Amino acid sequence: MASARDEIMARVAAQRRDATPPPVWRSRRHFEDLRDRFEESLRKVKGETIRAGSLDEALAALDSTLADLGAQSVVVNGDSLLAGMDWAGRWPERTLHVAGQSDGDLRAFCASADVGVSSADAALAETGSIIVTSGPGRSRLATLLPPVHVALVPASRLTTDLFTFTAARSGAQPAMMTIISGPSKTADIEQTMAIGMHGPKRFIVILFDD
Amino acid sequence: MSEPNVGATFPQFRTQAIRAIHDPMLQRAIDGATLNFRTGRASALEELPDADVLRDHFKTIRSSTLARLADHLETFERNATAAGAQVHWARDAAEARGIVLSIARDHGADLVVKSKSMASEEIHLNQALAAAGIDPVETDLGEWIIQLAGETPAHIVGPALHKTREQVAELFSQEAGRVMPPDDIPGMTELARGILREKFLAAGIGISGGNIAVAETGTVVLVTNEGNGRLVTSAPPVHIAVVGIEKVAPTWDDAAAWLQLLARSATGQPLSIYTTAITGPARADDPDGPQEVHVVFLDNGRSRQLGTQYEEVLQCIRCGACLNACPVYQEVGGHTYGHPYSGPIGAVLVPLMFGLEEYAALPHASSLCGACLEACPARIDIPRMLLALRAEEVQRHVVSRPEHFVESAAATVMAHPRLYRTFTALGRFFQRPFVRKGGLRPPGPLNLGGDRALPALAKRSFRAQWSELEREGGSDGLSA
Amino acid sequence: MAESKRIALMVTCIVDQVMPEVGMAAVRLLRRAGYTVEFPQEQTCCGQPFFNSGFRERALPLVKRAIEIFEPYDAVVAPSGSCTTMMRAEYPHLLEPWPDWHARAQALAAKTYELSEFLVHQAQWQPQANPHAPRVTYHDSCHMNRMLHLHDEPRSLLEAAGCTLVEMVDPGRCCGFGGIFSVRMPELSNAMTGEKLRRAVATETDLMVTADPGCLMQMRGLAEGLRIEHVATVLEELTR
Repeated sequence: MASARDEIMARVAAQRRDATPPPVWRSRRHFEDLRDRFEESLRKVKGETIRAGSLDEALAALDSTLADLGAQSVVVNGDSLLAGMDWAGRWPERTLHVAGQSDGDLRAFCASADVGVSSADAALAETGSIIVTSGPGRSRLATLLPPVHVALVPASRLTTDLFTFTAARSGAQPAMMTIISGPSKTADIEQTMAIGMHGPKRFIVILFDD
Repeated sequence: MSEPNVGATFPQFRTQAIRAIHDPMLQRAIDGATLNFRTGRASALEELPDADVLRDHFKTIRSSTLARLADHLETFERNATAAGAQVHWARDAAEARGIVLSIARDHGADLVVKSKSMASEEIHLNQALAAAGIDPVETDLGEWIIQLAGETPAHIVGPALHKTREQVAELFSQEAGRVMPPDDIPGMTELARGILREKFLAAGIGISGGNIAVAETGTVVLVTNEGNGRLVTSAPPVHIAVVGIEKVAPTWDDAAAWLQLLARSATGQPLSIYTTAITGPARADDPDGPQEVHVVFLDNGRSRQLGTQYEEVLQCIRCGACLNACPVYQEVGGHTYGHPYSGPIGAVLVPLMFGLEEYAALPHASSLCGACLEACPARIDIPRMLLALRAEEVQRHVVSRPEHFVESAAATVMAHPRLYRTFTALGRFFQRPFVRKGGLRPPGPLNLGGDRALPALAKRSFRAQWSELEREGGSDGLSA
Repeated sequence: MAESKRIALMVTCIVDQVMPEVGMAAVRLLRRAGYTVEFPQEQTCCGQPFFNSGFRERALPLVKRAIEIFEPYDAVVAPSGSCTTMMRAEYPHLLEPWPDWHARAQALAAKTYELSEFLVHQAQWQPQANPHAPRVTYHDSCHMNRMLHLHDEPRSLLEAAGCTLVEMVDPGRCCGFGGIFSVRMPELSNAMTGEKLRRAVATETDLMVTADPGCLMQMRGLAEGLRIEHVATVLEELTR
């Protein structure tokens, strides 16, 4: 007996015919200032943008954001941008977990953390989205379980839209990539929008010039 | 709790339709939801440069992909396997259920969390899991609501859009063991978040569908607003994605066009809040993520459509835009269709995949107004396929004998002008007792129009008056 | 220029038998636009009812005889977007398996016009504004709107004739007719009509105008107190 795979493949292959795929669609967008568009688009989906002139300013903004939030426990994705920082020295008063560096149960920590901090591989101006991936020091749960997600994003990582992003794609695909376009939401009860269904209730991007 | 309606023969469909039409709460809910979706879609597409050109482009992507589907499926399988995923193939629903159950048993899972998936609705996965002693928990809020209510989805995108806040509050109060006020929607959301969060963290397996399968990297893309797509692929140690074989995008560029249209067409969002792309299990140095990823490719009647006049139906991306545009769906709601795939696309898909006899009414549940075609991001010509299905019903004698007789007789009359004149003259005579206020109101079962007056034949037909009209003059002479 | 062309009226079976005044108005309008109109007496039905209910074999003889009847003319005009769509889009499609018939169907399709389309684009007829013209709302019939893309033509004629046009919410929403659909699923069909009528009434105009006899028949069957007329009748009265 033929396996399910072979049978399905045979049926599908029997209908194979020539068809030319269309030429690749290139972005038809042009934004005067990617940062402005990003901020505007993210605002429309109830996300927040804080603009900073440099990495130092961005870190200062992060400090004050955490203070405003009253964050006691913070999980940090130790990715290329954030891995080398001395977080423990910076926030001696907070409980801290740096993914890929700290000992202890990352999952349990994320489940009770007040804030998850990450960077982003890229950001899309058109939709006010950031793109996070899994990898060494990059936890999936860190940006997902805490009620607040704060992302530090260098403006140089902004690209116009999905099409410019995929056109520039290179290298192996990570196990997980998520395009985040705002705080978690639902409209499943009478089409009434409610923020914070399963993911973060607040999504704050600190966008800094680099 | 209403029993899910299964099947849509003419009596079934008619009964359900009448019930829906006379349910004012349902009418209000559907009107509100579909209007919201429609206005959202319109403005989201308007905001794009060249949305119509992009739709043409997308249609070509979809059709050219289906033409070489075997190649793309093989590419997907090769790349997904290289990334460490296990790819399975299911000829039908039973086989798909079997695959999922055996993975669940291998891991001794007794709790499964599910992200919203039409494919899993299609194969009735929850019933199979429950029968095997595994607790399936829907985590999309809408899906969870209908799971608690014991119902099937009323809409491809908004499964619980037929539920009022009062009904949801009642369900949640039972589940939580305390009274939930219906006007506190944030409170109900928070309650669901808490209950479902525990499930996410305790579950042995996460099950999702797949919006897109990107062949060039072997990636399954999931689109959610709530984050359930992220959680089911992050928290449990095993992730299973049940994906229809038609959901393949050859490249990421193709996937970009797909994503650019999907959420805009579905909910009117530029993108859904979370677009999650899963390529195999967590890598060795990833700090978290599932240890196993399984992709179950589901055929279940899909490959049978390739190369037929219905192949186009496989271009569907389940955005629900045709449901929101459809005046029939707006009157009858999703459950009347007797299957989780409802609306115009369901009216084509369901008879094709699950039986023309069992769903005989669906190809007729349309005035052929074309609003679905107008709304479809892939420009699927649903009206043309509905017509083709109607023709198949005639060929396969799914339509009744009396109807065959009447249609044949009427066509014969129409083909012979003398018969045409004779029969219309007879009609003029026999209609007389039933003509009131210019309309024809025959008694009881003869009243084919229901509450509507049928048209009465005019005293004299146009052709009978032609010679007089001809004598009026060749032209009125204004510009001759 | 105009009178040298042979124009045939495809009156449609509904107009012939149920609302002959629409056909008479169409003829008079075409005459005012400078044409001599012929009425081929052998015509009956375009075949759409049978095609739409799945009885394609039964539709075929009707389709072929319609081609035979109308192909000698330079142009065929019908006061119906739906029948025009049948002849223009479905005839060639249905006859695809027979190359000679297919070619004839295409030739006929190329010279078949819906009335308002013909008046605007072929005749380039401009009605004189009538100071007593009513306030109207216009219902787009589905085939005419979505298949033939004739949206502006009837509106521009009505406005030129002096009508004040008040758009209802979603004028392109189906009236619920759908041919056989309206008797196969009358409750559903009528519910759709009810919705349409509510939107028309909300415009508080004097009458609703449409260009399809099918829609007219359907909506009149449920309309109480709302006047609904064919665009030909309205234009003919206004331009007397």
